[in-house]
Amino acid sequence: MANLGAVNEKLLRVNLTTGNAIVEDIPQEIYTKYFGGRGAGTRYLFDEVPTDTDPLSENNKLIFFNGPMAGTMAPGSNKIAVTFKSPATNGIASSLCGGHFGPELKFAGYDALIIEGKSEKPVYLWIQNDEVQIKDASSYWGKNIPETGEGIKKELGGDENIHVACIGPAGENLNVIACITAERHREFGRPGAGAVMGSKNLKAIAIKGTQDVKPAKAGKMANYVKELYKEFANNPKANARRNYGTVEMVDGINKLGFWSTRNFSQGQFEGADKLTGPMMRQEIVVEDTSCYACPIACGKVSCVESEKYGTVHIEGPEFETLGLLGPNCGIGDWEYILKAAEVCDYYGMDTISAGATVSMAMECYEKGIITKEDTGGIELKFGNGEALIAVLEKMAKREGIGDILAQGLKVAAEKFGAPELAMHSKGVSPATYDPRGSKGMAVTYATSPKGAHHMISPTMGAEIAGDRFAETGKAAMIKDTQIQMALVDSLGYCSSMRFVMQVDHQLELFKLSTGLEMTKEDFYTVGERVLNLERQYNVNCGMTRKDDSLPKRFLKEAMEDGPSKGQTINLDLMLDEFYAEMGWDKDGKPTEEKLASLGL
Amino acid sequence: MSRKVLTVEKSKCIGCRICEQWCSLTHHGVINPAKARVKVTRIEESGVDVPVICTQCSKAACIAACPEGALSKNSKTGAIKVDKEKCTACRKCVTACPNAAISVHPEDEYVLICDLCNGKPKCVENCPEKALQYLPIETSERIYRSKVVRDTAKGGKRCG
Repeated sequence: MANLGAVNEKLLRVNLTTGNAIVEDIPQEIYTKYFGGRGAGTRYLFDEVPTDTDPLSENNKLIFFNGPMAGTMAPGSNKIAVTFKSPATNGIASSLCGGHFGPELKFAGYDALIIEGKSEKPVYLWIQNDEVQIKDASSYWGKNIPETGEGIKKELGGDENIHVACIGPAGENLNVIACITAERHREFGRPGAGAVMGSKNLKAIAIKGTQDVKPAKAGKMANYVKELYKEFANNPKANARRNYGTVEMVDGINKLGFWSTRNFSQGQFEGADKLTGPMMRQEIVVEDTSCYACPIACGKVSCVESEKYGTVHIEGPEFETLGLLGPNCGIGDWEYILKAAEVCDYYGMDTISAGATVSMAMECYEKGIITKEDTGGIELKFGNGEALIAVLEKMAKREGIGDILAQGLKVAAEKFGAPELAMHSKGVSPATYDPRGSKGMAVTYATSPKGAHHMISPTMGAEIAGDRFAETGKAAMIKDTQIQMALVDSLGYCSSMRFVMQVDHQLELFKLSTGLEMTKEDFYTVGERVLNLERQYNVNCGMTRKDDSLPKRFLKEAMEDGPSKGQTINLDLMLDEFYAEMGWDKDGKPTEEKLASLGL
Repeated sequence: MSRKVLTVEKSKCIGCRICEQWCSLTHHGVINPAKARVKVTRIEESGVDVPVICTQCSKAACIAACPEGALSKNSKTGAIKVDKEKCTACRKCVTACPNAAISVHPEDEYVLICDLCNGKPKCVENCPEKALQYLPIETSERIYRSKVVRDTAKGGKRCG
C-alpha cells in the first residue's frame, strides 16, 4: 500500500464497557473518499451506529476524527470533528473543535479516536502515545471545566502541555446543550456531544504525544505555506478577524437588520454601537490567541472587573455567543454577556443554544405564559442580565425551571405550552443571523443535518453582495457553499481559512501532505458524498421534508422594522429548488441515481 | 560585529506554534513539537502564551553542568553545540538551564538545544507576530523596554 505521508492510518478504539483499548488500521479508501473529520466520522457512524440507537445509551459512539493535515504546517488545519447521534436532534451530528487537542491526538499517533460503551463509574482517558489508560474520575465528577482540566494536569504531574478535553456538570447531567470543552475554552459546541460523553460516564480525555507527522512532500509544502502566510498578512478579512475576532461582523449584520434580537422578534439591537469589534477591542480584550498552525489569531481573551461578579475572564466572546447571550436576550452590557459566557464555559454548555433557550423563556415570561412561580422568583424579562445568569446556572444544575430548559428549547417550549416561541430546526436553535435578512440562511438552517447550524452553508457574504432577499435562483450557490463547508470540515480546516485558502489551495495542501493525486472534480465529489451520506443517515432515522422546518416567526411574521422590514420566508419554494439542485426527491431524500453516482 | 541573540516578546506571542513546526522541520525533516528546540506553552488560566527559547547565555549553565563535555559553543554564533556521541541524556543541563529551553530527543538519547540554524533562525523568519527576533546583543533589550514604557504610560494592562 502507498504511504500516505502525513496521515497515520491508525485509530484508537476504546470500549468503556469492557475497558479494552485497541489500535486499528484505517482503510486508505476512507482518506480518498471522505478525507477525515466530518466526512470520515460520518462514514464510521453510518456503519457502526444503527439509526434506532438511543443517543444517550451505551450503543451511541463518539467518533473523534482529525483531518488528514492535522499537525502539519497547513494553516488552520487544527479542527477535529466528533461525530455522534445527537440527543438534541436524534440524527447525525458532527461538531468541530479548534485549538490544539486534535493535533495532540495526531502527535500521539492517531488520526481518530472512537469511544464506545459505557463505564460503570466516572472515568477519564489518559493517552500518551501508545500507552492508554482508563483512570478513575470520581473526584472530578461534579467539577467544572477549569477545575477538571487543571486537576487532571496536576494529577498527571503538572505538564501544562497535556491537552485535556472534558465535560462539565451540564454534560454529566445529560443536558442536551452540553458541549465537550478542550483546553478550557475550545468547544465541540453543538448539538449535545457533552451529554453523550456524560452518558458514558467519561469525564475527560487527556493526551500527550511526541510522534512525528511526516508530510509526503514536506519541503515543498513548507515553501507553499510560506507564500500563504504572506496572503494572510495582506488579506483584509483576515486582518479584521485578527483585530476583532468574529465580532467584526456585528456592525454589518446589525446595520442590515438581521441581528437576532429579543428571541428573533427584531433584527436590530439599539445598543449595537457599544458591541462592535472596535468597541470590544477597546473595552474588554486583553490577549490575542491562536489555534495550532494558524497565522490569523482570531481568538480574543476578554476580561471585565465586575462589582457583582469579581474578575470575569473568558476566551471570546465569539459573534454568535455575543448575539445569543446579548441582544437576543435584550442585553447590551459586556459585564453580563461575559459573565453569562463564563457560566456556560464553566459548566460546559453551548453558548448559542443556551442564549436561544433563555431568550425563549424570556419571551414566555413577558407574555405571561410562565410566571415568577415557574422561574423560582426570577424576573425573567428581556434585558435582565442578572436573571440570565441565574437561569443559566439553574440549567446547568437542572434545578427548578432549569431542569425543563436543560431538555432543550423545543421540549421546554412545548412544556410551557408555547411551541411557536422556540426558534429552532430539528430541536437546535439557529445562530445569530435572522434568515429573513439573508434568505439562503433559511435553507441552511432547515437542511442542516444537525439542526439550525450556520456553518453548514454560511451564505451571508454572497447574499449581501447580491439580492439578499431573493428566494429563487440561490440553490446552486447554497449547494456549492454546503459542499465547500463539507470539504473544510472533512479536511479539518478552520472555516476562517477560506478567506485566503480557496479550494485550489486546499487541494494543493492535501496533495502535498498525503502524496495522493486528486482532481478538483474528485475533490468536490467528496464534499457531495459527505452531504448525501449524512442526509441518508437522517432519512434512515425517519427524517423527511417535514423536519427541514423553520419556526413560524421566520415564515409568517414579517420583520417589524429596519432594513429587513416586511420580510418573511417562502421556505417551500426555496426547498423545492434546493432539493432539485441536490438530486433529492420532493421529500428531501437522495435519489437512488444520486447515491449511485457518488458510489454510495 | 557583535554577536546576535534570540529574543522573545511574550506579549506578542499568539500561541500558533508555527515556530515549533519550522524548527522540527528544519532539524529533523518532520513536524513534531517534541523535536522542536523552541516550545510554546499556554497558561490556560490566563490565556497567555509563552515561547521558551535558548537565549545564548555567555556563561552557559548547560555547558558548566554537563559532566561529559558534550556541550560547547559555536565560536561564530554563540549557539550551543551538542556532541550527540558524548551526550548521555543525563538531563543535568535540562535542569541547569534558567530558561527551561532544553529537552531530550523523544527517540534518541541526546538533548535538543537551539543551534540558531547557523545564524538564520527559521523560527524568527516565520513568526507571524515578530514575537521572536534575532538581534545584536547590545540592543536586544530595547523592544522589551519599549513595551514596558508603553504599558507604564497607559497605566498597565486591564485585569492584571
